[in-house]
Amino acid sequence: MSQGVMVRRNVHIDLRVNGETQEASFAPYKTLLEVLREDLGLTGTKHGCELGECGACAVLVDGEPQLSCLVLAVECEGRSIETVEGMAKGAELHPLQAAFADLGAAQCGYCTPGILMTAKALLEREPSPTRDRIREAISGNLCRCTGYQQIYEAVEEAARRMKESA
Amino acid sequence: MNDAAFPSGQPGASQWIGKPVRRIEDARLLTGHGRFTDDVPLENAAHAAFLRSPHAHARIRALDVRPALAAPGVISVFTGADVAAEGLKSLPYFALHKRPDGSPMTAPPRMPLTADVARFVGDPVALVVAGTRNQARDAAELIEADWEPLPAAADLEASARSDAPQVWPAAFAPDYGNIAAYYRMGDRDAVAKALAAAKHVVRLRVVNNRVVANPLEPRALAAQYDASSERYTLWCPTQNTHTVRAQMAAVLGIGEARLRVVCTDVGGGFGARGYAYPEHAALLFAARRVGRPVRWLADRSENFLSEVHGRDSIAEAELAIDAGHRFTALRIRALGNVGAYVSNFGAAVPAMSGARAPTGVYAIPLLDHEVRILFTHTGPVDAYRGAGRPEMGYLIERLVSRAAQELGADPVALRLKNLIPAARMPYTNPAGQTYDCGDFERILRGALAAADWEGFPARKAAATRRGRLYGRGIASYIEITGSARLTEAVRLTAAPDGTVTLLSGVQPIGQGIATSFAQIVAQRLGIDPEAIRVVQGDTDIVGSGGGAGGSRGLQVGGSAALAGALALVEAGRLLAAQSLEAAVADIEYREGRFRIAGTDRSIGLFELAAAQPERRIAVEHTETVKGQTWPNGCQVVEVEVDPETGVADVVRHAAVDDFGTVINPLIAEGQVHGGIAQGLGQALMEQSVYDASGQLLTGSFMDYAMPRAELVPALSTRFDESVPTRLNPLGAKGAGEAGCHGAMPALVNAVLDALAERGVTTLDMPLTSERVWRALSTRAA
Repeated sequence: MSQGVMVRRNVHIDLRVNGETQEASFAPYKTLLEVLREDLGLTGTKHGCELGECGACAVLVDGEPQLSCLVLAVECEGRSIETVEGMAKGAELHPLQAAFADLGAAQCGYCTPGILMTAKALLEREPSPTRDRIREAISGNLCRCTGYQQIYEAVEEAARRMKESA
Repeated sequence: MNDAAFPSGQPGASQWIGKPVRRIEDARLLTGHGRFTDDVPLENAAHAAFLRSPHAHARIRALDVRPALAAPGVISVFTGADVAAEGLKSLPYFALHKRPDGSPMTAPPRMPLTADVARFVGDPVALVVAGTRNQARDAAELIEADWEPLPAAADLEASARSDAPQVWPAAFAPDYGNIAAYYRMGDRDAVAKALAAAKHVVRLRVVNNRVVANPLEPRALAAQYDASSERYTLWCPTQNTHTVRAQMAAVLGIGEARLRVVCTDVGGGFGARGYAYPEHAALLFAARRVGRPVRWLADRSENFLSEVHGRDSIAEAELAIDAGHRFTALRIRALGNVGAYVSNFGAAVPAMSGARAPTGVYAIPLLDHEVRILFTHTGPVDAYRGAGRPEMGYLIERLVSRAAQELGADPVALRLKNLIPAARMPYTNPAGQTYDCGDFERILRGALAAADWEGFPARKAAATRRGRLYGRGIASYIEITGSARLTEAVRLTAAPDGTVTLLSGVQPIGQGIATSFAQIVAQRLGIDPEAIRVVQGDTDIVGSGGGAGGSRGLQVGGSAALAGALALVEAGRLLAAQSLEAAVADIEYREGRFRIAGTDRSIGLFELAAAQPERRIAVEHTETVKGQTWPNGCQVVEVEVDPETGVADVVRHAAVDDFGTVINPLIAEGQVHGGIAQGLGQALMEQSVYDASGQLLTGSFMDYAMPRAELVPALSTRFDESVPTRLNPLGAKGAGEAGCHGAMPALVNAVLDALAERGVTTLDMPLTSERVWRALSTRAA
């Protein structure tokens, strides 16, 4: 057996996260999830299974939901990364966050960042999704606490509010 | 709620109780600022990885850790010999039952790292500490272990045989096999007579499938040792910081004051995180030995291997029924799986709270109940949402629906005939337990109405025209909640900044309990819930606590919060009397102000706090509620089964629950929904599978099916608050586990109703498409 993964020289790249470009230096084999959490201090994105099966680590890369546990951070140079920390504008919650709070869509909150990001991408593509479309969009995100119903209701409510304020 | 708790006539008396107040937890959880264990920043932390047994049963001939020690970044490697040399003790557990001969349970050791014989796949045998997580994991693979595989008892029923491979020779008894503990209750002879004399006897055997709690947050730990103060700190996702502290202090052989346990946010508990594990002790030990903080984050497969599993029992039941269709006696013979070691509640759960209500909501006068709790070479089994109650509820509700089928009776009519009438409350069941209140018929009729029970034939006809099998199932349930820990202490402090801080030893595990407490305190003090700060989850700040479990948080901790708020008012009245130079008897309190009755002279609560020498008003209060409570409810499910594929779709669902007083309906509804999803998951797809050699076949989310968004149908839930309990001042009954309890029997009864026309009379969970399809194919052949 080998002597384990050799620690090669770190890569230095610019990562654009939540609209701000940051210089990051990390081992080239690190996943985007690990770099976000360990090198950029953005712990809102969660480890759930590290195999792409649960959706807890979902972030947006160029507006598309991606499982950050399956993406190498070095692949993200020059791309736009959005995490849950970037959703609120100062003290003002994103309509999805506000609707989640109003309708009880978060319980333990561990899967919530991944679901919020997935739902955000959905609403940016489809401002008025049906219940079935919402179900389909978040079917890759496991939630053990809520039974999903309050999540559907919150996404629908956020869609309504976003249309009204548009 | 009970009138005494919130005096009527007080302005704004119902301002906060019963309102869907936004959760105070959400401000951090929805913005990515939750503080879960792996989010805790720790300077200079090293990372741990465990080497685990790949065998279900094997002697460790030798462990050569030198290749791991030589690997890049490795700081230290520890084995079972190291923890034994250190004098660490075995993990404590709860010995509720005895052995069949009446002697105490044999106590097989469960050390932080196993030194001699591994007894399940995943048994931790060595711990590597390295600079990074990847270095630790790579190095753990380099440890050279010389294993001598031994025969394994992987199957529950086989483990009861006299020729089964022995898990713990000291616990083995030829007549019982690998017996850990034994329970019996009731009148064996009277039940035998009643069964012999009965007009009908309905028999049923059910398997309650083994499942995994799978909180989305993987197991995680961070441990630190401060040499100057000789104190340890442990961060962990737990339902009970004080239990973890007590158990770890016992294992480390130190006073509890030398250990601080911290848990701010938990990514779900569900029963699996109410106590300490071997890994907790191994990390604390390692942190002291390497002189650096050590952290560990399990991956999902390691979680499947090493976190306790739930359920896993087999029960055979016989119900005696007279000519008038009244139930006269119930006999149950059950086996429960405890796994390879006794986890905290593991040897109690198969005959713990569930065994107190095996007759459910029915007036069955006679009971004969025996449970054998057995070791197997599988991972430890412990509490899972309901911890024995859903198993009992599943059995009795399956049995009653089976009885209806065999008798040719209507399942609702048979239930109505045998329900305990509200007029018989308080009712003592044949297990000797007294239900203080409940109106089961009202709840059942409410569920039938919510489900549009009468509209079923039309829906079935429509489904039949589409070539589908269609069925409906009903299940009532009764829970016993509150846990054995019926006392909670609180500390409330009113500060000049306009806040009241509440310290509570009830653990937040995502159930929104801090918000519920804030509502209760706000209600009693007549101030805004946003002025209430709730502090939990740190044993250095909160003096004591019973944690979260057994649906106790609201009824016990909430009652303490309420009584504490009242104590704060009383303390404030004394101080206000001095401040306003009036008699205490003349001081009244209303909406944040103390006033001399009949005058306009008053002082605000926070103003009064500022006027004190210590600039605060603080009270401590310990509250013990009068007893465990009996929430109950009824669920109705309709399913459509595709006979070509065996896929069972849940198409309609309705639940009515009696939780007594509901403090926050949004939170309570979420608890019920989540429970139902877990119940449907167990009933339809979830199953933890070991092969005959004891290998875990379901070690990832690819192999273990979890309920995803497309599984859960639209849920209709309603609360009936007409029968609050008098056992606590809130009138609240536990809501945390009920949804899971009711969902399983309702769903399975519905599928069996759908399959009845095809001659299928029984099936065990999970009702996967394969299992349903095979049942249909066998009957058709």
